[in-house]
Amino acid sequence: MHQQPHYTYYAEDFPLEERPRRFLEAFAAILRYSNYGPALDTYVHVSAKCSLCTAACPVYQATGDPQDIPCHRSELLLRVYRRYFTLAGALKARFLDSFHLSDGYIDTMAEAFYRCTACKRCLASCPMGIDHALITHLARWILSEIGIVPKALLVSVREQLEGETRNTSAIPTVAMRDTCEFLEEELDEIYPGAGIKFPIDVQGSEYVFFPAVSDYLLEADTLMGNAAMLHAIGASWTIGSENFDGIDYGLFYSDRMWERIIKAQVAEIKRLGGRVMLIGECGHASRSAKEGMQNFIPEEERLPVVNIMELAHAGFVSGELKLIENAIEQRTTYHDPCNIARKGWIVEQPRVLLRHICSDFVEMTPNGVDNYCCGGGGGTVSIDEIREFRVMVGGETKAEQIKATGAHFVVTPCANCKKQVSEIIEDFKLDVVRTGLHDLFLQAIIMPDGQKPEARRVFE
Amino acid sequence: MSEWLLWARGPMFRFAMLLMVLGVIRLVVLSLLNLVAVSRMAGDKRIPIATALRGTAGWLFPRWGALTGHPVLTLASMIFHLAMIITPIFLGAHILLWQRGLGLSWPALAQPLADALTLAGIVAGVVLIVQRIFARASRELSRLQDYLLPVLITIIFATGYLAMHPGSDPLSYEAVMLIHVVCGNLLLFALPFSKLSHVMLFPITRLVSEMGWHLAPDAGQRVAATLHKEDQPI
Repeated sequence: MHQQPHYTYYAEDFPLEERPRRFLEAFAAILRYSNYGPALDTYVHVSAKCSLCTAACPVYQATGDPQDIPCHRSELLLRVYRRYFTLAGALKARFLDSFHLSDGYIDTMAEAFYRCTACKRCLASCPMGIDHALITHLARWILSEIGIVPKALLVSVREQLEGETRNTSAIPTVAMRDTCEFLEEELDEIYPGAGIKFPIDVQGSEYVFFPAVSDYLLEADTLMGNAAMLHAIGASWTIGSENFDGIDYGLFYSDRMWERIIKAQVAEIKRLGGRVMLIGECGHASRSAKEGMQNFIPEEERLPVVNIMELAHAGFVSGELKLIENAIEQRTTYHDPCNIARKGWIVEQPRVLLRHICSDFVEMTPNGVDNYCCGGGGGTVSIDEIREFRVMVGGETKAEQIKATGAHFVVTPCANCKKQVSEIIEDFKLDVVRTGLHDLFLQAIIMPDGQKPEARRVFE
Repeated sequence: MSEWLLWARGPMFRFAMLLMVLGVIRLVVLSLLNLVAVSRMAGDKRIPIATALRGTAGWLFPRWGALTGHPVLTLASMIFHLAMIITPIFLGAHILLWQRGLGLSWPALAQPLADALTLAGIVAGVVLIVQRIFARASRELSRLQDYLLPVLITIIFATGYLAMHPGSDPLSYEAVMLIHVVCGNLLLFALPFSKLSHVMLFPITRLVSEMGWHLAPDAGQRVAATLHKEDQPI
């Protein structure tokens, strides 16, 4: 009798019979119906094993374990592809004692593909242009179809798609409403009489707002800053009571789930008659919505996807959003979330705003499209049982980067990065305050009638 | 000996060249057909040619940024590539062959420059081989072809240099020439079947990577149906 294998992360028990056969069946089905084949075909030819990616990968740099080299990790899956899905591999297997897929090999993949944070930094270092994050993405999907998924991700998606609350943190709608009412009262102390609201289920609003749902539990200041900014620019926006979670863990482990989640989100926007999908301060939610919209929603139903920092930036540039110059005097630095920065989507916008409101804004090195992952990317931040590896190993580079800036505030406009950076600060005992961009806005927004924020508690 | 040389320069070369050209055409045609298929299946039908071209162009020229990570490796592979692209095409002795075969000719590289480039290619080749053997990360990644190809190419450079300088040649001219031509032919053979195929696939790879994220709608549903999981809870 086989024993259930134990990975560094918790996984629910999965069937152990004939795992290699079922892995290959899932792989074949995915190749048949999705678009990964051409990429794998090309990669098995051109992969040069040049080792340049070793200088780019923060995980390998921290562990120094050859297993963590991006090219090595991708080869794990490419080897399976070559053996079972190419003619050359099939012929080689006839004549030589070649590789075959075993239970142990599947376990190796199950570990390796969850050490990668899918930060995509290695793509720019690969002379051949191989996207190792794409391989990680595909490998995790195949693994999930035979039941190998970190439990933390699985239960979140289960609650979001099949649970009563329809969000990853299982927050009942009534609790969300209470939180919003409480935050409205708080906002009334910062901007007395301004009447800043969290509109819920307002039909026909232009923007339907999807923050990472964990913001309702953990990031009150970010949400208040969001509402204040939207109020200041006079945006027509609403929160949908039936689906108010921007998180889409499908991006981290399964295209099947990715598609179901984005479809449920779009259905909520349709129910409310909204026209734009507005994502809060969250990297993966922004990317999964933007790419998911293009990939999975029929062309005639597609809606624009906007990150709230883009909206703030556009408002600031057009003059609708007025911000107090140099409102923040302490030194401030900015951490780029990989999912919005790597392709150059959102890099300059927050910096324009920060340079205006901060008198001492400094950059980390490297930054922007070349930034280092916080160490918690690719869903790993949700997996608490790997905290030590994720923070002390994966997060070490980030800790050193932050320390080198000498900043008081580190702005991390992403729910994943926020949790990870908080834990980095805690575990490395850094003397830094982690905050979101909109949190700082609460000290900087000038309302259209000229009202400035009341002095409030300084961040602890 | 001279009959072997005639064979290597005649039938063997023609066969290698034919195989190389057909193999490369097959690869490129299949890759392009693949991309058309991706675009047809994908929800996002755009073909991001501009992004792919930018990425490709960036790697056609020396990347000084990459030097900070792996200075020796980057420099050596840069020189290796330069020597490999320039000498087969612009060496005077090769142009004579081109002229004989195709009736085309073009200005040749000055001989001292060609010599320097060949020697630099040999040094770079040796550096790359040594690096692959002694750098732990490279060694862990390496397959058989990763060792054989640089060795083969370095032999071609070395025998080419000796053939041009018979005075410093310990072997007979014909022996050196035979090794040079046979190894050159082997390289042509290997091109479509090894990582050397990046010669032709290089401009396509980045496009493939970009298009790789253009996923097919309903793929998840169909995969679930195929695996008999459509009614299973998550």
